[in-house]
Amino acid sequence: MKKLLIIGMAAMLTAGCKGYLEEDTTGLLYGGNVLSTQDGLESALTGAYRGLGNQWTYGFLHPSANAAVLGADDVTTHPASNKADWREFDQFNVSTTNQRSGAVYNGCYKAIQGANNVINNYAKTVGTKATIDIIAGEAFFIRGFSYYWLTRFYGNIPLVTAGEYSADLLTIKKSTPAEVYALIVEDLKKAETMLPNARRDPGRPNAGSAKAFLADVYLTMAGWPLKQTDKYDLAAAKAKEVIDNRATYGFALMPTFAEVFANDPAVAIIPESVFQINGFTGGSGTANATYGNTTMPGEEGGWDDMFAELNFFKNFPAGPRKNATFRTAFGLGATTIPWQQSLTKHPYYQKWYIKGNIVTSSISLPTVMMRYPHVLTVYAEAKARGTGGPDQAAYDALNAVRSRGLSSGAKALTPGDGLTAAQFADAVVQERAWEFACERTRWFDLVRLEQVEAANAAKSPEDLQPIKPITKANYWFTLPYTDTSINPNL
Amino acid sequence: MKKTVKLWVLLLLLGQSYAFAQNARVTGKVTGPDNQGLPGVNVQVSGTTTGTSSDAAGNFAINAASTASLVFSNIGYVGQTVPINGRSVINIQMAEDQKTLSEVVVVGYGTQRKVDVTGALTAISTKEFAQQPITRLDQVLQGRAAGVQVTQTNGAPGGDARIRIRGANSVLGSNNPLYVVDGFLGADFNFVNPSDIETIQILKDAASTSIYGSRGANGVVIITTKKGAKGLKVNYEGQFSTSEVIKKYDVLPAGEFAEIVNARSTAVGTGLPFTSDQIAQFKQNGGTDWQSLVFRNGSGQQHQITLSGGGDKTTFLVSGNYLNQNGIVNNSGFKRYNLRTNINTQINDKLSFRLNLWGTQSKNHNTLDGGAIVQALAWAPTTPAYGADGQPTFTDPIGSVYRNPLDYLYDQSVDANRSGLNINGGINYKLPIKGLSVDLQYAVNYLNAQNLNLNGKRLSNNVPTASRYSSEQLTLQNTNNLNYDVKIGDHSINAVAVLETQQFTDRNFTASASGLRFPQLGYDNLGLNTAATVASGYQKWTIFSLLGRVNYGYKDKYLVTAAVRRDGSSKFATGNKYSVFPSVAVGWRLSEEEFIKKLNVFSNLKLRGSWGMTGSQAAPAYSTISTYGTAQVAYNNSAATAGVILGNPGNPDLKWETTKQVDVGLEAEFLNGRLHIEADYFKKNTSDLLLNVAIPSYAGGGTQNRNVGEIENKGFEFSIGGTPLISGSFRWETNLNFSTLQNKVLNLGNYPRLGTGTGVGGGMSTTNEFMLIPGEPLGSYWGLNYLGTWKPGEADAAAKQGRVPGDPHYQDLNGDNTITTDDFQIIGRAFPKATGGWNNTFSYKGLTLNVFFNGVFGVDKLNYTRAAAMSGAGDARQFILSEIRDYNRPGNESSNVPAFTKTYQPFTQSSRFIEDGSFIRLKNVSLSYNVPTSFLKNKANIRVFASATNLLTITKYKGPDPESARVGSGTDSAIGIDYGSYPNAKQYTLGINLGF
Repeated sequence: MKKLLIIGMAAMLTAGCKGYLEEDTTGLLYGGNVLSTQDGLESALTGAYRGLGNQWTYGFLHPSANAAVLGADDVTTHPASNKADWREFDQFNVSTTNQRSGAVYNGCYKAIQGANNVINNYAKTVGTKATIDIIAGEAFFIRGFSYYWLTRFYGNIPLVTAGEYSADLLTIKKSTPAEVYALIVEDLKKAETMLPNARRDPGRPNAGSAKAFLADVYLTMAGWPLKQTDKYDLAAAKAKEVIDNRATYGFALMPTFAEVFANDPAVAIIPESVFQINGFTGGSGTANATYGNTTMPGEEGGWDDMFAELNFFKNFPAGPRKNATFRTAFGLGATTIPWQQSLTKHPYYQKWYIKGNIVTSSISLPTVMMRYPHVLTVYAEAKARGTGGPDQAAYDALNAVRSRGLSSGAKALTPGDGLTAAQFADAVVQERAWEFACERTRWFDLVRLEQVEAANAAKSPEDLQPIKPITKANYWFTLPYTDTSINPNL
Repeated sequence: MKKTVKLWVLLLLLGQSYAFAQNARVTGKVTGPDNQGLPGVNVQVSGTTTGTSSDAAGNFAINAASTASLVFSNIGYVGQTVPINGRSVINIQMAEDQKTLSEVVVVGYGTQRKVDVTGALTAISTKEFAQQPITRLDQVLQGRAAGVQVTQTNGAPGGDARIRIRGANSVLGSNNPLYVVDGFLGADFNFVNPSDIETIQILKDAASTSIYGSRGANGVVIITTKKGAKGLKVNYEGQFSTSEVIKKYDVLPAGEFAEIVNARSTAVGTGLPFTSDQIAQFKQNGGTDWQSLVFRNGSGQQHQITLSGGGDKTTFLVSGNYLNQNGIVNNSGFKRYNLRTNINTQINDKLSFRLNLWGTQSKNHNTLDGGAIVQALAWAPTTPAYGADGQPTFTDPIGSVYRNPLDYLYDQSVDANRSGLNINGGINYKLPIKGLSVDLQYAVNYLNAQNLNLNGKRLSNNVPTASRYSSEQLTLQNTNNLNYDVKIGDHSINAVAVLETQQFTDRNFTASASGLRFPQLGYDNLGLNTAATVASGYQKWTIFSLLGRVNYGYKDKYLVTAAVRRDGSSKFATGNKYSVFPSVAVGWRLSEEEFIKKLNVFSNLKLRGSWGMTGSQAAPAYSTISTYGTAQVAYNNSAATAGVILGNPGNPDLKWETTKQVDVGLEAEFLNGRLHIEADYFKKNTSDLLLNVAIPSYAGGGTQNRNVGEIENKGFEFSIGGTPLISGSFRWETNLNFSTLQNKVLNLGNYPRLGTGTGVGGGMSTTNEFMLIPGEPLGSYWGLNYLGTWKPGEADAAAKQGRVPGDPHYQDLNGDNTITTDDFQIIGRAFPKATGGWNNTFSYKGLTLNVFFNGVFGVDKLNYTRAAAMSGAGDARQFILSEIRDYNRPGNESSNVPAFTKTYQPFTQSSRFIEDGSFIRLKNVSLSYNVPTSFLKNKANIRVFASATNLLTITKYKGPDPESARVGSGTDSAIGIDYGSYPNAKQYTLGINLGF
């Protein structure tokens, strides 16, 4: 017995040590070879898209970007209720901890991290080259798209092109908008050559998407803060390229404005969509919350997050577009009340009502990040502000958008109306305001054209006012506290 | 005829015996070994509840039948039973109980004579809680040992409890003590059935805990379960309880609420939601009291049967326990089943064998924080609970933007089922060398965890979702123990050498389905869905340990202990795998010195001191590796695609967190043990502190585990106990303990400060609620300093910030007239400065009254439940608590409750919602009665009791319960936020114990 015990203990002593403390990584995905296969690269690309849509966490699948552009004159929010974080934007008093702009910031950088990882590794990936190029092209698009949102909101930002974490990232300095735009242009140029003409899925870009965004980027570069006015010509040329090849890319203007906002969860994509982030209620964090509750009034079970500014609504030209844009009587049942008698005394945006007026904050609908008429207006404005002024194509582009919005019989604009190039350009900008009301567009137009102060001065006194005079400092948000508190160089 | 005769004879005999047994007065004197009178000796008439005790001179007087016997007992002396035999004077001399001197206590990997112990450890005897309705181990530990803090953070039955021994050392790792049950390391305290406990030993200083090396830094609780004894015994315990909420928030009545909502609408220029007719109707008929729909009277029952017995060589014990509690929140509850058995057998003089086996299952149902409790204070009292269709109202047009509290209660199931099995066996063999023995122990611990969730149609935006998480965890432990214990002359030596290995594996999977076509089938039929996802994972870690300890005693006066443990862990990379944890302790039993003996004051006086190191492998497994996680993306509107996303960056340089501790202690016993005092001072220093350091969002976000900084914990512990009053049969025993704790972050490496968050403040917090700053304690709240409202005279200053009088006024630290995170500062402390407990037992004959107080002092809480209901933040659109009556308005400009304006910008993360969370609580009061054994012909013991828990709470805290909070019990860097936390209840219990 005793011998047995001693042998037993001796066996334990020797058997115990070797290999016992090696870490068993069964089931873990790690290391450099994850992206060496095409499946690995594709999975990492999907991970990059995640940054653009993670409901209630980051990205564009919940009303984060919508809140962040409230400084424009098309949308406002509730003066009381629980909307303090929304009011910060409308009143030009944005805190560095605001979770709405923070969600855009975090999401874009998460997408950039994923895209960087794909971009830095795709050359080594083994597989079908044509497919690998498309994967890389989408990654370039995601990175360019994300930096475009970031620099428009924050101006000077950290420019990161590394996917893997390293300690030196903790002390990097901010890059200027010029540096950021250089990368954006470079990325979108790569994307337009690497992407196919037909998108692989509704929620992915094609070559046309990359060109359309590049046109928009050029237009923005021509305005504040870079004011590189030579970019107007580039913007016009790039937009024209998209317009001319719209059939190739599958872009088209829908016959009526109302159809654009049918918001039918059974339809994955409409032809007007240039690029969209899809929502699906069945996944984890993939449902879309930018429809329904957020833009519905309390009377209909909504949250009163965002609704129309009074003067914007008043000045909005009548027609089918106005009818489809605004909800002016509230009530889901037989009886309705006009907006003037509602609690907030504001018209709301019908645009974001789900088909059948379903009251929910989770729906399988896409967040459309650019519509085809946007490209038409980019061309019209850029052509007008660029070399030679507006041509017939510019008039045609503007009229295509304008006529659909106005009542039938409304006269189309012609060169014969005697508008100067600048007046024509302003008309386009105004047209964009109506066409893309509450679509996260107006704010960026006001910023690049330095019209934020003027637009806010024209607000109805009954709407929320800036709590202090607006200055250029209000054109950008301060970088989020989460990051400035870690990196002292920001 | 014969029968009648017999009866008469019987009656006659009875009459005679009655005559003989007539009570007579018996007096006498009890003396000790020194022939001096012995006070406080308990004198009892055998088999009755009649008793008295000796006076200061040792004299006693009692009435007893001349045929009866007197039982003399006193702590530290050998008890005696003396038949009266008709005498009227009985003098006895009592001998010191050598057994007390040789009383052993359980220490890590062995036992020690109590008098030889050099470390700071506290024993909790089962006697101390026998009088209380205890269902869980945390209730046993709460308030009973100096230096041990227990907070019932989740008041739900089966809810979480935070247990800390001498504070918190780690930011990243768990600060829960190590539980060692019958030699198995890392047992889950939730599974320990208090009725099975024989002894509890709490190891506090490094001399006691360093033997547990890398797992000992947070203190160790050693539990030894009851074993069988010779002779058959059956015991039954039953308890029945009812419970209710301690306090509810004071909410505006519907009519007044409507008036205030209208007043706010008028002030900001929106339409009036309520007409004067509606208000009049609300005033007449009232509205919805959401809190009373959420809370109810809970109930519970517990049954335990213990069967034990055996012969000379083999003993056994089998116990079964059933606990069923319905919580005070509707549709919440907890069930637990326990089965424990052990066999001990002495095969021969040298060889013995033991086997412990226990199985348990627990089921939590909807024991959640938040949800219904938060929504009950967000839904308007003017909104009816149910619609015309009889269903709960779907949306609230006035109050909350989110779901009906009733839907949180009834349209979801959050179930956590845990099944555990522990098999723990060992053999002990005495080797031929005197005092040397070897002990081998093997343990298998299996845990099966099932989390079953259902989110019904109403709660889920019409996308009913159910999921099932299943995990299988297996821990294998092997302990090989060589023990040497001898006494040679004046020298006593006890030495132990151990080789121990432990291995943990976890395999888990999750299946979740959304768009359930038959939501009523829930998680039991996941297949019928529109979309499903699956995930699975694996984790393993191993520890390899060598350890040794030597105790040396000289003349039972001078004591030295030295111990060392070397641990290796798989969690760290090569080069950082191993760490060594030494300790040394000395003790001096002054009471054995002649000059102290001469004083004749102390029956025991011991001075002791220790130094040692313990560690923590606080990092989770695989922290040295950067891994990918899984994330989903929708590329269309009918499917989600899984992809990979870079997770937290790994840190290959991770190493052990080390805690150094010094302890100085004094133990004294006076008046032959009637009074005892113990005092300790300790100082702990934790270095290479493991922290989750935040990574900027632009670098991918998340956190990285790093060894950064140092933390210090120091404090005093004091306990005093004794028997202050003995008068006749009346006896009062009391035990008071009090401890202070000072926690301080000493440094954070290169970081001037580091934020730590909780994730519980969704919609309330805008950044981390806590900040680590050198010089400040863990759990320092970070936020704005609320200065009240802007007053009419400050209109100009307010205007500079874009505000008007009546708006909230926050301290603008940098004077830039903008309130930003630059103005954040420390606004409170979540760590209690002191805690205490006071346990009293009054006994009179068979009656026992227990009164137990528990107190926590110097602690702040961040009351987000109140903030949500008072600031129009989170889901609540309106102010609902009655304190809004005082809102700032013309004529009431001095009020610090903000006015209704368009420039109102609330920061809930501010001192406005920091509240003093100190409290004193009457934790238990119970009265029990032992039915006299004579009445039951000595065949059975019956005890009945009635008890009330949390009957009285003295606190300034505005919420229902200062004790509960909404953060997991493992972490300490972020504690004390109350955001709809499940409150503790007031509970009334009736119970019975039967023993045969």
